[in-house]
Amino acid sequence: MWRYTVRRLIQGVITVWFIATATFAAMHMVPGDPLGSERATTESIRQNLEARYGLDKPVFPDQYLIFLGNMARGDFGISFTQQNRSVNDIIREAFPVSAQLGVLAVIFAALGGVLLGALTALNRNRLPDVIIMFLVILGISIPSFVFAALGQLAVVRLNDWTGQSLLPVAGWGTFQHMLLPALVLGLGTMAFLTRLMRSSMLEVVNTDYVRTARAKGVPPLRVFWRHQLRNAVLPVITVLGPAIAAITTGGFVVELVFAIPGLGRTFVEAVQQLDYTLIMGTTVFYGAFLVLMVILVDIIYGWVDPRVRLG
Amino acid sequence: MSSPHDYAPHDYAMTVDHLEVEFDTYGGTVHAVRDVSFGLRRGKTLAIVGESGCGKSVTVQALMGLIPMPPGRITRGSAKLGDTELIGLRERTLNRIRGNRIGMIFQDPMTSLNPTMRIGDQIVETLRVHRGMSIREGFKEAERLLDRVRISEAQERARQYPFEFSGGMLQRVMIAVALACSPEVLIADEPTTALDVTIQAQILDLMQALQREEGMSIILITHDLGVVARMADDVAVMYAGQIVETGSVEAIFHRGGHPYTLGLRRATPSNAPGRAQQLEPIAGSPPDLFHPPAGCGYFARCPHAMRICERRMPEPFELTEVSGRADEIRHRARCWLQHAQAPRTEGVNQNDAGREVS
Repeated sequence: MWRYTVRRLIQGVITVWFIATATFAAMHMVPGDPLGSERATTESIRQNLEARYGLDKPVFPDQYLIFLGNMARGDFGISFTQQNRSVNDIIREAFPVSAQLGVLAVIFAALGGVLLGALTALNRNRLPDVIIMFLVILGISIPSFVFAALGQLAVVRLNDWTGQSLLPVAGWGTFQHMLLPALVLGLGTMAFLTRLMRSSMLEVVNTDYVRTARAKGVPPLRVFWRHQLRNAVLPVITVLGPAIAAITTGGFVVELVFAIPGLGRTFVEAVQQLDYTLIMGTTVFYGAFLVLMVILVDIIYGWVDPRVRLG
Repeated sequence: MSSPHDYAPHDYAMTVDHLEVEFDTYGGTVHAVRDVSFGLRRGKTLAIVGESGCGKSVTVQALMGLIPMPPGRITRGSAKLGDTELIGLRERTLNRIRGNRIGMIFQDPMTSLNPTMRIGDQIVETLRVHRGMSIREGFKEAERLLDRVRISEAQERARQYPFEFSGGMLQRVMIAVALACSPEVLIADEPTTALDVTIQAQILDLMQALQREEGMSIILITHDLGVVARMADDVAVMYAGQIVETGSVEAIFHRGGHPYTLGLRRATPSNAPGRAQQLEPIAGSPPDLFHPPAGCGYFARCPHAMRICERRMPEPFELTEVSGRADEIRHRARCWLQHAQAPRTEGVNQNDAGREVS
């Protein structure tokens, strides 16, 4: 297990390096530059700024090596557009917001998906199954910004109707602020996981070992927890890594709609302003985070399925 | 109608009477088990033999309440374990019997154990459910059981997962699971079909040894007459959802009274001297069980078929036997050739004074 973990971590580092290099290359191929604003700058000011940010050196290898070296030390540099703020500070401030939102969304998605999937499988072709599977199709095909807007509308109507402020419509601060955006963010993944869980559960229900368990006289509830759910959940855990990726990247849109000061919004704004360091910093950070999540999921998988751990 | 109870004076561990099972499918209703009756003598092995799809597995799964309902349906009949009626029991009541008074093992040991649970835990589960043992006690007992099914280093093996075992070893584990609560009856549904031949013999020997030690009764489902010869005391031959002949293993092998039984034997390889090396397959295929025939199911394939065979299936005829011993079960065949007026037919053991049991 240890060797497996170490091997996966080394692979992860290589992946992150690859992401960083690709981002760096893409960044420098984009037309325009961060200093070309509407304000006219004299040639000397411009040269000063370029020298300060190291833009006067050749892109390759000098800038690239500096970038890699700084990154290895965990230093993403100073933002081009936000005065006197390092990229590290910005990430440190914005990421916890996104992370809280993401974690809550993943919990919604995973719990909802597993439970709804198991429920539909056990009630196959009966009313609960038909209704839930219809909603699942909606959940998969409707994009999150539509859900976001509809969700806001629903909350506004609800608040109007009850005459109280039950849930905030946008903004950030309390736990109540998180509920709606997290639900919207997790909805697509929840629908996807429901379908996956349903089919995997249907497969497990007809397996020989479930029949063995019943032939042993194991009560139905125990058969469900010990024999069906645990085995049916394996494929769901496998896609949980990519699902977390989907949720974090989906965060861009949801954070904008709900005016949440998270990393997604920071990233979108950085791209609009061509803030080199901030774009590269957030991208590499996102990449490293996702790689870590996938590795974590693989390790959890090994813990649930002994064939991976010991085989 | 015949009933196994008039087989007296035997002591039965389990009796099945007029069992009928149907399945609803898109193609219509399949009549998988049609009026099946048999008795399992205490401490003996009853083999149920027949080709694929003849309803032998469905029969025992119906006894165990393992048929998915729907689409399955038990339309008629009863099955008694001692004095306990099994058919129509509520799941809760049935769960006190399954794994406790009846143990069951299946065809494919590789897929019959939960891949994410340790071997020991899967044995412990039975002990916890039925005996209320703690995990600690249960694990001790599981190790003892693994030892009994001749798995060495039981202590270590109990902590391993199914994928770390070979097929033969897993079937031993299945036997340990089934025997955990010392059941009265062990149902073995093709226990050696998925194993290679050398392992088959080991598993069969193990089952016999454990039967001697525990005194349990075994229902053995198989299509392998070699296995039957080795294991069985009594045999029931099944065809197209019906039992066509029952008798002691000697009677079935040497004095077969139903053409299907004879056909099965000729289709079995043998290295006995003097036997033709060529296997004789039974031509044709079994009848469509969506619309089971009114007459004998074997009619279309039977070399001795008569006109009445197409119209009506006889009740079992009792075969009077010169060599039949008192402690053997009665030899019965559901074939018109056993009728007193039937023409003499070579190869078939016929009654002189055929008498339909009714």
